Amino acid sequence: MKAKWIVLAVLFVLFVAAPFLLTGFWVRLITFTFMFAVLASALNIIAGFTGYAAFGNMVFFGLGAYTTAVLMNKVGLPFPVALAASAGIAVVMSILLGLLLLRLKGHYFALGTLGAAEAMKYIVENMTSVTNGGRGITVPSMRGSPFMHNTIFYFIMFGLLILIIVVVWQLSRNRLGYAFKAIRANEEAAGVLGIDQTRYKITAWALSALFTGITGAVYAYWFSYIDPPTVFDVMWVVKMFVIILIGGAGTVFGPVIGAFILETISELVWSRFINLHLGILGLIIMLVVLFMPRGIISVVTQGKGLRDLLQGRRRPSSPAAGPPSSSNGGQS
Amino acid sequence: MLLQAVINGLLFGAVYSTIGIGFSLVWGVMNIINVAHGSFIMIGAYLSFTLYAAYGVDPFLSIPIVMAVLFGVAYVIQKFVLNRVVRGSVFITLTFTFGLQILIANVCLLIWSADYRSIKLPYSSAGIQIGQVVLPAVRLGIFAVALVLTGLFYLFIRRTKTGVAINATALNFEGAKTVGIDVFNIYAITFGVSAALAGAAGALIAPIMSINPFLGGPLVGKAFVIAILGGLGSTIGALVGGMVLGLVETVGTLFIPSSYQELLGFSVLVLVLVFRPQGLLGKRFYE
Repeated sequence: MKAKWIVLAVLFVLFVAAPFLLTGFWVRLITFTFMFAVLASALNIIAGFTGYAAFGNMVFFGLGAYTTAVLMNKVGLPFPVALAASAGIAVVMSILLGLLLLRLKGHYFALGTLGAAEAMKYIVENMTSVTNGGRGITVPSMRGSPFMHNTIFYFIMFGLLILIIVVVWQLSRNRLGYAFKAIRANEEAAGVLGIDQTRYKITAWALSALFTGITGAVYAYWFSYIDPPTVFDVMWVVKMFVIILIGGAGTVFGPVIGAFILETISELVWSRFINLHLGILGLIIMLVVLFMPRGIISVVTQGKGLRDLLQGRRRPSSPAAGPPSSSNGGQS
Repeated sequence: MLLQAVINGLLFGAVYSTIGIGFSLVWGVMNIINVAHGSFIMIGAYLSFTLYAAYGVDPFLSIPIVMAVLFGVAYVIQKFVLNRVVRGSVFITLTFTFGLQILIANVCLLIWSADYRSIKLPYSSAGIQIGQVVLPAVRLGIFAVALVLTGLFYLFIRRTKTGVAINATALNFEGAKTVGIDVFNIYAITFGVSAALAGAAGALIAPIMSINPFLGGPLVGKAFVIAILGGLGSTIGALVGGMVLGLVETVGTLFIPSSYQELLGFSVLVLVLVFRPQGLLGKRFYE
């Protein structure tokens, strides 16, 4: 236990010092990695802890990014106010969508969230007067030198990452987190035990949406230009799932470790095989699913891989186990 | 104008049905949402294009070849790779097929480059005119082949021993194993048949659409809509779902600005999921 704290303290010092020692390129790369770690950790709350494959989680990222962009560009509000609005809108949207979609299970929930994200993308694209539509929208960029710019966003993302690690760490040991895990393990049994599933599922998704929306807002300010296909891109969620799979689902540090591993691999592949980059990424995704379903972290601790977690839900003898048709009902 | 749109919609809807049947078969039997289904369609279209461009094979004649190739490829993928994770969770299989889709799209990009390809048939302008309505020969042929394939699939799944075994495996995996069905082989056949139908659909669209390596994504979106509309486990459902989608797309353009069409499609998808998750005609098994 003590060793773990020492490692964390050393890492903290290293990461605080990093922007002053590394070039802009590396600082931006690490900031990007932090961002994916935050997004994957946020997805981990609903998918890893609670067992709901929210494949459309980019809806909150896109909404957060667009809220900030529109408020700063068209209304002229300062970034902190826009950020708070983004967080609020993401949470409200997660509650509304949750009431509608969290009744569905398995693939149906996954597809429902995908549909919602796509629908939202087209809504944003068609609200041309507010969002500038498919052309994208610019965000007034921060003043200061490139070094300032890089360093500030580095620390914003780093702060977000520490915040979500603390939240997820609390979840791994408090009542709320146990309720999430109970729902993942067996929703009916959790209900019988007196866990109000709907409320807890929505709470889990709202927490996930809160961080995803805030990250979207920061992304918009950081990049100072966004367009619908980028901020609602389903590929990002797939990447987050791969990150979670690499690191270990339902663990505190799994998604963070996974993000660093995947980004390192991507960077190596990207710089050497620029033409094959995406194809190799596809191959990596497949290999991770095949050979690392438990995640790296299970080597260190006894964190469980997604495969174990979800196989617990579908026992061979129960009717819910049969792959397909028997477990497909969203409403029974 | 309206009548022509309705006819065009129904003619092309049959191709959508072929796409939807394969997609919902895999979903219904193995509980896999195969995001790479669109990539199989794309491979079919490219194979048909290559056979036409290099050897002058008529796209209609290349359908059996394309189907055989795709059956083989998909059978091998399922048998040696996907079967390892097929009993896993939604995360696992969905993420895996995403990876497969990216890989296939980029391999196609390497082989055929990003150029838009199309097949210009010598008889592409032939057609029958009835009053104000034109029935293009190519589209009629596509419609006929798609319907025949749907009919053949229906017979296969209902009348053959393999079809019955697929149904049995879908209904009860353990039970099917107990009565001596090689369930993992059945899974491989299921995936193969699904891909063969996708390949046929690809060969069918090749003469009327332009082909590019990024065709797969949008087509999967359509497959979702057809499968959800029709419901899992019903050939008739997929047939109706495909026709409905074809009609909505062609007739819809007359009334709704095209920028709102995608929005409409996805909104319908979410609403059907929420209020009628078994689809419009869905059943608990294949028929």
